[in-house]
Amino acid sequence: MTPDTVHPRGLMIGFVIVAGAVFMLMTGGRSTGQAPAPSAVKVPTPGQFPPYRAPRTADGTPDLNGIWQAFVTADIDVQDHDAQAGPRPDMMGVYGAWPGGQGVVEGGEIPYKPEALAKKKENTEKRMVVNITSDPHRHDTGDPELKCYMPGVPRANYMPFPFQIIQTPHVIMMAYEYARALRTIYMENDKTIPQEPPADSWMGWSRGHFEGDTLVVDSKGFVPYSWFDRAGDYHSDALHVVERYTHASPYHIMYEATIEDPNVFTRPWKMSFPLYRRMEKNIQLVDFNCTEFVLDLLYGQYSKKVDK
Amino acid sequence: MGKYVGIFWSALAVGAAVVAFAPIFVAAQSAPGAKAAARTTAKAETNIDTTREANSQNWVVPRMADGHPDFSGYWNSLTFTPLERPAKFGNREFLTAEEMKERFRSGLRGSYEPGAQGSEDRYGGELFNPDSVDYDATTYGLSPWQNGIKPNPRTSLVVDPPDGRIPPLTAEAKARLDVGVRPGGTFPYVVDDHHGGAVVHADNARDLGLNTSCLTQSGGPPLIPAEYNSGLFIAQNPAYVLIETETGSEFRIIPLDGRPHVSSDIHQWHGDSRGHWEGDTLVVETTNLRPDHTYRNGDPRTQKITEYFKRVSVDTIEYKFMVDDPSTWTKPWSAIIPMSASTGPLFEYDCSENNNDAVNILAGARAFEKKAAEGKPISQK
Repeated sequence: MTPDTVHPRGLMIGFVIVAGAVFMLMTGGRSTGQAPAPSAVKVPTPGQFPPYRAPRTADGTPDLNGIWQAFVTADIDVQDHDAQAGPRPDMMGVYGAWPGGQGVVEGGEIPYKPEALAKKKENTEKRMVVNITSDPHRHDTGDPELKCYMPGVPRANYMPFPFQIIQTPHVIMMAYEYARALRTIYMENDKTIPQEPPADSWMGWSRGHFEGDTLVVDSKGFVPYSWFDRAGDYHSDALHVVERYTHASPYHIMYEATIEDPNVFTRPWKMSFPLYRRMEKNIQLVDFNCTEFVLDLLYGQYSKKVDK
Repeated sequence: MGKYVGIFWSALAVGAAVVAFAPIFVAAQSAPGAKAAARTTAKAETNIDTTREANSQNWVVPRMADGHPDFSGYWNSLTFTPLERPAKFGNREFLTAEEMKERFRSGLRGSYEPGAQGSEDRYGGELFNPDSVDYDATTYGLSPWQNGIKPNPRTSLVVDPPDGRIPPLTAEAKARLDVGVRPGGTFPYVVDDHHGGAVVHADNARDLGLNTSCLTQSGGPPLIPAEYNSGLFIAQNPAYVLIETETGSEFRIIPLDGRPHVSSDIHQWHGDSRGHWEGDTLVVETTNLRPDHTYRNGDPRTQKITEYFKRVSVDTIEYKFMVDDPSTWTKPWSAIIPMSASTGPLFEYDCSENNNDAVNILAGARAFEKKAAEGKPISQK
């Protein structure tokens, strides 16, 4: 091909490029044509995100709306752990087995006070001992997850279920598929809402504000009954959690939580992991109202024995 | 207690001020075409200019950045008005001023006992049963006037058909429901013993029904008020509306993007809701209800509930719902419940986490059986 001739195929390619550009203009550039030139594409390195500025909502704050999910095994154990057979392997087989995983705790170890570490170990041993009474002793043993109780914070964010963020100028709602738990993050601009927790709760009393691209959520006012994982990691009613949600890409939020509880830990400690945007077309939360599945576990001891 | 008395009297005073406008309101609603004219005339004639009235004159629909009406905030669906119209009103849609005043006062008196509220059909036509007062609901901030309830001029919540009554069941539904009503009522385990007392049928937690076993307690659709804790919180952005109901802290997430419903193989406790705008009205259509949790034991395959949210004043959402379920009722029917502005926050309602009822009822039933087996029956009268 000489410079002064135009090959019909070149014309065709040119037309396709122009048509593609017009199509991108019409669709706001959200077509597949948005991908950068092949030479610019690099295989991502885990733990490293290129600089990213989050899209903004109408009121100018970073837009965190979406359905998100963690893909860590922290619900089993927030610290490093091996794979293990679950309860009743004779019946459950691999359905009940738990995957191993690397922990999400910064520095690897939770800084327990010595007496608190003993309590954690007792929790582990009695995680499946369920004795529901009509008083707070119902919480003495047994993982709250096993009983379908509300997961608390930060556990809600790394349950193996999606959750949805619905962002408005005054509140940010976090709606969890697991046990249909709900958090209301009151933003600073809502002056009608008390600063201090009016009552203790499972999901805590949360105030939020933005620091640049990061949503910072400060939560306290927790009941002392939720756990961090199936390994029995726990807290008291002095729990104070500061979470940071930072957009790392259109598809990721980096999540960080600082856990403080002077009754249980010698110092504050951190956990972090990415949240992934669920991208299925028409993705939505579906019910996991698991109370339905634990009625016999919770109240079997008070139920009439039926001869089968 | 002095504080409560003060609030009580000021609530009555506000009530009375609103009642003074009742005839106008009624007239305006009876003849929609003449609404604006009636209001203007009324203002001149009554010459009452309360702050509330002044505010509503200047009120404009608050809007989101996207231009749609803003429903966000705290609301309460408590009402003293019965769902179906008592026979004595016939085809009359609205109360007289005197009747409305009396119903509101009667309702407020009934406020002191949660079980007596808003239940004209429950207590044989009486809104208030003085014999049933167990405790003072105002102590807990649970009474309707503490939650912003306002007089409702309607004789019934049902507005269509015009007789204010739910249409007859279809033959199919009669046959279906005759087989036995599924547990789902408030106290399905309390059974009349036909000797003036009651026995408890509570073999296991399922017998206690959806409410007492904490499977679901509220959330709709439709958003029918309970006797107390009928608070709602609405969070709204251009893509979604979330409605949280106070009892059980249950929620519905309503996409506004026009997506189709989920497959008919998916069943949800609060169905599958889709919203869209018709002018300034938010319209929410819900299908995919669970077989054990349809509205009024309708048919989960055919029940569709359409809700219409419309802001009509500074402190009121007119909430209308239409029930369309051709295999259960001979025709669709609709009701209107005014929702009053309320104050937040809603508290977390931990139900299953704190379910003493289930333990105590079941343990009580077992103790009763044990005594009975020993030949020592206990009266549960």
